[in-house]
Amino acid sequence: MSEKNIIQITDLTKVYGDGVKIKALDNVNMTIGRGEFMAIVGPSGSGKSTLLNMIGILDTPTSGTITLDGVDITKASEKERSKMRNQKLGFIFQYHHLLPDFNAVENVMMPLLINGIKPTNARAKAHTMLKEVGLGERINHKPRQLSGGENQRVAIARALANSPEIVIGDELTGNLDSKTSEKIYELLRKLNREHNQTFILVTHDEQMAEKTERIIGLVDGKITEDKST
Amino acid sequence: MFEINIALRHIKARRRQTTFSVIAVALSVAIIIVSMSMLTGFRENIIETTVENQAHITVSPKENEDYISLYHGLESFIREQEGVAAVSSYYKRGAAIQYRHNVEGAVLSGVRPVDEDHVLNVKKDMIAGEFESILGTGNRIILGSKLADKLEVGIDDTVTVSFPGSKPSDFKITGIIQTGTSADETLAYANLEQVQDFYGKSGIVTGIGIRVSDVYAVDPLADRIDRETGYDAESWMEQSSEILNLLNTQRQFVFIFYLMIFAISGFSIANILNMIVMEKVGEIGMLLAMGTSRKSILAIFLLEAGILGIIGVIIGAVLGYVSCILLISYTIPVPPEMYFGLDHLPIRIASENFLIAGAFSMVINILAGINPAHRASKMDPVEAIHSV
Repeated sequence: MSEKNIIQITDLTKVYGDGVKIKALDNVNMTIGRGEFMAIVGPSGSGKSTLLNMIGILDTPTSGTITLDGVDITKASEKERSKMRNQKLGFIFQYHHLLPDFNAVENVMMPLLINGIKPTNARAKAHTMLKEVGLGERINHKPRQLSGGENQRVAIARALANSPEIVIGDELTGNLDSKTSEKIYELLRKLNREHNQTFILVTHDEQMAEKTERIIGLVDGKITEDKST
Repeated sequence: MFEINIALRHIKARRRQTTFSVIAVALSVAIIIVSMSMLTGFRENIIETTVENQAHITVSPKENEDYISLYHGLESFIREQEGVAAVSSYYKRGAAIQYRHNVEGAVLSGVRPVDEDHVLNVKKDMIAGEFESILGTGNRIILGSKLADKLEVGIDDTVTVSFPGSKPSDFKITGIIQTGTSADETLAYANLEQVQDFYGKSGIVTGIGIRVSDVYAVDPLADRIDRETGYDAESWMEQSSEILNLLNTQRQFVFIFYLMIFAISGFSIANILNMIVMEKVGEIGMLLAMGTSRKSILAIFLLEAGILGIIGVIIGAVLGYVSCILLISYTIPVPPEMYFGLDHLPIRIASENFLIAGAFSMVINILAGINPAHRASKMDPVEAIHSV
């Protein structure tokens, strides 16, 4: 694997179900380069979320391997997987999943604290991240005091807090109106350029997908297209 | 230590529900502390009464013999033993006491009052007259309060004492004694020499009472006397084995009740934790996605159980202490003989009871947290995240 590639996926297959087997992913092979800003598209049930969960080390494949930054995560222990999720990956989901009992800055601090970073340092970093996503003035607001778009920005700041190599977004604008979605995408693009992190976004919104550099189409668990835009 | 932070926030955000769990724990701890303090007090009181109202060791005649002759030698031998605080020889026998038309059976004890007081601390029970008064000239007798009531006699009255085959003798009442036990109905004290004369048995006694310095180290001493003299020496522990067994059995029974009370408070902890875990599925999924280890998730919820438990235990301990103080000052309006001579609740505030109740409650609370915490730590992050 070249230094340029951060993710190498080989013969990845995921089968669900005990009785009736459903192949969510069928022998997927792909590589993703460092700093890529890409989208995975496909109809629902195509396996795009499954693929994303595999890359995010949230799920394990039935067969095949995934190498993240040189480490075969399919062979990693539970502890190593947790550590990699914390340090190498940032997650943004459709629902922001901010901890409702914590304010914005505390939420952004969380992955840093999990990483064992001192609270004072974590707070400073979290504050910087919130400024970057345009929420420098609202750091003490709790999720219920922020709008949907603002909460998603906090979630983005949180995903980026540990400076992960890979940022994963699963339908991250699914709950937002198109104008806000647009802004969020622009923000992600800006962050991608500034930090040279790899962004993998799952979406069924073709317009949004068009704004990325590379689109991977998935149907019935198989890659049907892989194009640069 | 982000785990404790999350745990504290979860609790703080649900102040109303968590307050109820804390109250449940606090009440259980308080109830058990009061109950344990009462039991300890009751137990100590019974033992104290038992120890106070009988000789710590009683030496009886050898098998197939009715008397201890040559008791002076035996007495000095016992006095020389280590741990012996006082020795009192007595001649004790049944007798009939008559005053006008009233006749009552009694157990007449001939004693040396100073010795007897050293062994049984009888002076404190005197409600009229002096215990040493029986040393005065002429036949003098001290009666148990109830015996005196039944005979309808008081100080300075003269009663007639007789036993089968003896010539009735008159005794002047010089004191009334009240021990607070059933012995008051039959108790009669007179001077040892006079009683020996009365029964025509000078130079012999029916038993020797011994007081020791350490009441719990009494058995080896009793065994030694038994072995070396051949007389039957029995400790208060042997004599009161039934009551001691009863107290132990009672402790075991009560323990089952404690367990049930703690289980109730444990359920309230389990309940609130289950609620939090159910509400927090998405959050748990996200924490896992952020790289929180399963161990940390387990720790978060166990900490919650622990925090709720410890607040409950502290409040419960204070509540228990205050309740004990209040109950101690409360006087029960009952005749003293009804509760072993007690007129207020025998509560003993002992630190070990607080420690035991607190520690035990904490163990149950943490145990109650294990199931919900384990469930949270075993969640599939993908399912958890998408459950919202």
